[in-house]
Amino acid sequence: MNVLKVPKHAIGIFILPALLLYICIVFVPILYSFYVGTLDWNGYGVSKFVGFDNYHKLLFDDPYFWPAVRRTFLYAAASMIEIPFCLMMAVLLNRYVRKANTLVSIYFTPVILSVVIIGQLWKTIYNPTSMGGMLNQALISVGLESWAHTWLAEPKIAIYCIYFVSLWQYFGYHLLIQFTGVQNIPSEIYEAAKIDGAEGFKADRYITFPMIVPIFKISLVLAFIGSLQSFDMVWVMTGGGPAHATDVLATYMYTQSFNSQEFGYGSALASLLVVLCLVFTVVINTVMNRIDKRFS
Amino acid sequence: MPNIAKGLVYLLIAVLVVTQLYPLIWLALYSLKTNEEILSGQFFALPAKWQWHNYVEAYTNGSYIKYLGNSVIITAVTLICVIVLSAMVAYAITRFKFRFGPAVMLVFLVGMMIPMQSTLLPLMKIFSPLELINTRWALILPYVAFQLPIAIFILSGFMRSIPTEMEESAHIDGANVYRIFRSIILPISIPPVMTVCILTFITIWNEYIMAATFISSDRLKTLPFGIYSFVSQYSVNYGDIGAYMVMGAAPVILIYFVLSSRITKGMVAGAVKG
Amino acid sequence: MDSKSKKALTIAVAGALTLSLAACGSNNNNNSGASADASAPASSPAGPASSNSGEKVTLTFQNIYVDPNTPTYKTAHQIVEAYEKEHPNIHIEFDSLNTDQQKQKLKVQANSKEIPDITMVNPAAQMKPFVDADLFVPLNDMLDQNGLKDTYQSGLLDYYSFDGNVYALPDGNNIEVVYYNKDLFAQAGISAPPATFEELLADVKALKDKGIIPMAIGEKDTWTGSFIFMNIVLRTYGPGFLSDVAAGKTTFEDPAFIEAVDRFQDLIQAGAFEEGATAVDADSGRNLFTTGKAAMYMLGSWETGSIDASSVGPSVAAFQFPTVNGKGDINQFMLAPGTGYAIAANSKHIQEAKDFLNYYCLNFPKAQFDNKNAVGLPQKVDGDMKAAGYSDLAISVMDLFGKVNGGDIAFDNTMNPAVAQAHLTSLQNLFVQKVDSAQVAKEHQTAYEANKDQ
Repeated sequence: MNVLKVPKHAIGIFILPALLLYICIVFVPILYSFYVGTLDWNGYGVSKFVGFDNYHKLLFDDPYFWPAVRRTFLYAAASMIEIPFCLMMAVLLNRYVRKANTLVSIYFTPVILSVVIIGQLWKTIYNPTSMGGMLNQALISVGLESWAHTWLAEPKIAIYCIYFVSLWQYFGYHLLIQFTGVQNIPSEIYEAAKIDGAEGFKADRYITFPMIVPIFKISLVLAFIGSLQSFDMVWVMTGGGPAHATDVLATYMYTQSFNSQEFGYGSALASLLVVLCLVFTVVINTVMNRIDKRFS
Repeated sequence: MPNIAKGLVYLLIAVLVVTQLYPLIWLALYSLKTNEEILSGQFFALPAKWQWHNYVEAYTNGSYIKYLGNSVIITAVTLICVIVLSAMVAYAITRFKFRFGPAVMLVFLVGMMIPMQSTLLPLMKIFSPLELINTRWALILPYVAFQLPIAIFILSGFMRSIPTEMEESAHIDGANVYRIFRSIILPISIPPVMTVCILTFITIWNEYIMAATFISSDRLKTLPFGIYSFVSQYSVNYGDIGAYMVMGAAPVILIYFVLSSRITKGMVAGAVKG
Repeated sequence: MDSKSKKALTIAVAGALTLSLAACGSNNNNNSGASADASAPASSPAGPASSNSGEKVTLTFQNIYVDPNTPTYKTAHQIVEAYEKEHPNIHIEFDSLNTDQQKQKLKVQANSKEIPDITMVNPAAQMKPFVDADLFVPLNDMLDQNGLKDTYQSGLLDYYSFDGNVYALPDGNNIEVVYYNKDLFAQAGISAPPATFEELLADVKALKDKGIIPMAIGEKDTWTGSFIFMNIVLRTYGPGFLSDVAAGKTTFEDPAFIEAVDRFQDLIQAGAFEEGATAVDADSGRNLFTTGKAAMYMLGSWETGSIDASSVGPSVAAFQFPTVNGKGDINQFMLAPGTGYAIAANSKHIQEAKDFLNYYCLNFPKAQFDNKNAVGLPQKVDGDMKAAGYSDLAISVMDLFGKVNGGDIAFDNTMNPAVAQAHLTSLQNLFVQKVDSAQVAKEHQTAYEANKDQ
């Protein structure tokens, strides 16, 4: 790539304001968390240095930590698996609907609404039969009574119910991103391909997919990050219960820091989350480079 | 493509319209019902008597105008800061050659995944001596910082795809880098900037935990405080909450539709790549 | 806000003050040198620092009264308005948050010594860490002014006292009762509220057979289940179980505790609570009862007001939690001393805050009474509830207060937060699966031993 010749101070002017702000607001707290993670501390009283006890306990002696890690990354995986479907929808909308913009905007509405609303709505859907839950009523009306559950109160399935709501809510979000990407592909390319006999899905295979890769990557990263930070949805739907069965890392950290008042322990958890993020960022980067290579 | 398959596609599109639009309708109905009607769990039922007074109560008890004003100010300042700062970084990362470029990108990427909740206490420690607690900056600064990585990520992805010829000829004509950035790069980046606006907007508009922690004065509080003012320890006014939520979501929907039409328009007009 | 109603409020509040002062007129109110002239009852007990100097002072009052439609919100705002009127140089700024958010905010603020001038904390074990960290000022001198101390029910302030100093003043004092819907009981053919646990289980069955939810609970907010469970412990062990554990006199593996877990599981397994209770929050739990879907609702007497205001109000009465296996005294209650007002040690205006809080607390009971919120007041108040238009339910609950013969306070008010959290998790788990009771006891003991040095 051609690179502009710029004076040295321009680099500083362009980068430093954002970088300084970012380091102060996001990075310093991370470092602080690593430090507090070595303390036995409630956050405001007398603190005691305990070395790596908190980290050790988390990794080897906490029955709720690893399941929360697993659920968090499963969450991430589920959100990322959704994206190909969003891309497919974007392609279909672009091809079969003349004024697709309006549709995309409609699909986006759940994203705009606050999680408080979404949570309230889905709780009424998931309610047990005796409380008039809509999902169970629907199942019963088609003769699938044995499929009825107390969805959010069963430790084995509650978390999947929450995943589903998130996927549903963020469908429009990723669709919007993919759709703008698809629209951005100049129509001349398709026309040229048409002459060469590539139409429909064949054109998608050789034109749409390769050209959409950068946008696809953005969606993947956004989905991944969004899931690691996910807090609100779980908090509103189940509060992490029953008995931690739906805790993800952010909710477990919050419970430890503020409800159990084990702030040191909660901070250790936060710093481990950072480490896990680092590892997975590398993994994702590798995967993406593979995708890049495959399509270029 | 056979007609059956085409029919299936339209069916899928239609089903999705229903499922994705439903919450909005549900909320609108919800906001016009009594507590009893809401709790009876009748999903599609219209209210027996339209409770318009829910809106009156939500408006008067929830300090709507005051909180809305604060939300607008905080959101607007945040958006401007995010756009300007992230566009500058994205431009520098994609166009300037300097040793720490990749490192800078990595720093931003890592922080992307930190849940805001884990920074509450350290931020309090940082803001307290600077006397930023209970000012709008206590919200704007973290909102900007937390939105920067995503914005940089999106904008740098876009800027990488802009051909460099325009900048080169401008450079030959004697324009310096600031001028190039302002008159060439920013204008053609409008579509991704709109995307960044929407993503930032929806994240911070409903943000409550940080706002509740750093803001104490009523005159500075934002819209989510209004929603929670109907959820007290001993009672919940569901209808009022619904009405408040509709009023809280209305500006978002409005702005979203304005911005999203610009995205697609801009995309078509500025299709410089490829 | 229109000035007419403002004026009316001021008069009402001033009247309330007269009444309080008349009631405590004989008390020595002049030992701090900063007290009011007793002959001028309408003026507040302001110290010279704040009453005469024109210096503008803003006090931040962090509180949990968010909903303008609730009586306590009205009470708090009425008193504050009246106080600001009398003290033009003092401005009280409300920071009203819902309960969970307020708790979290206070902890974050405590870290940076940014606690607002006046805040609210839960009693006993929940406020101890704050007191240990010297974050609150003792209120002893302020309590002696204008006889405020004697307005509180005897023994109540002990829950807010450490080493002989009082650090917070409660906004309530409640007991746990079982509310029941007489109509639904009649539908299930139940003539009288249960007097034993076995009868309770039989009633649960009868109600369930009729398709009625026997007992509503909001177990997503885990303390609700704990509060019921601890009442069973109070029956099987008697008062003071947790303090005996803390004193090393017994452990969580005490047979009485295991028996209580068994009985609690009996209740759950009998289907006493609504399906999927762990996803139901406290508000929705209450709503099951107040919309007539559930027949019983067991929680603190503070719920009386909202039950009264609901459509089932007229058919609701309350009973005392029954004996368990013939054990226990039904006049022993789970006690719920309310959230307390505390003054921050980092406040720049401690004296002004004390003066204000003194005035506020003096006027609190009468204003609450007038706002129809007299059930569960922390202070003595004279007034004829019947004449004031209180419901039969409210009056009968007030009568139960007269029967109180000791009891216990909630788990999280006794044990440190980490142990309490383990306890709450362990109990919530019982709602989704049957667990060996000895195992539950062991979990408790392990958590206790791991955290007791704190």
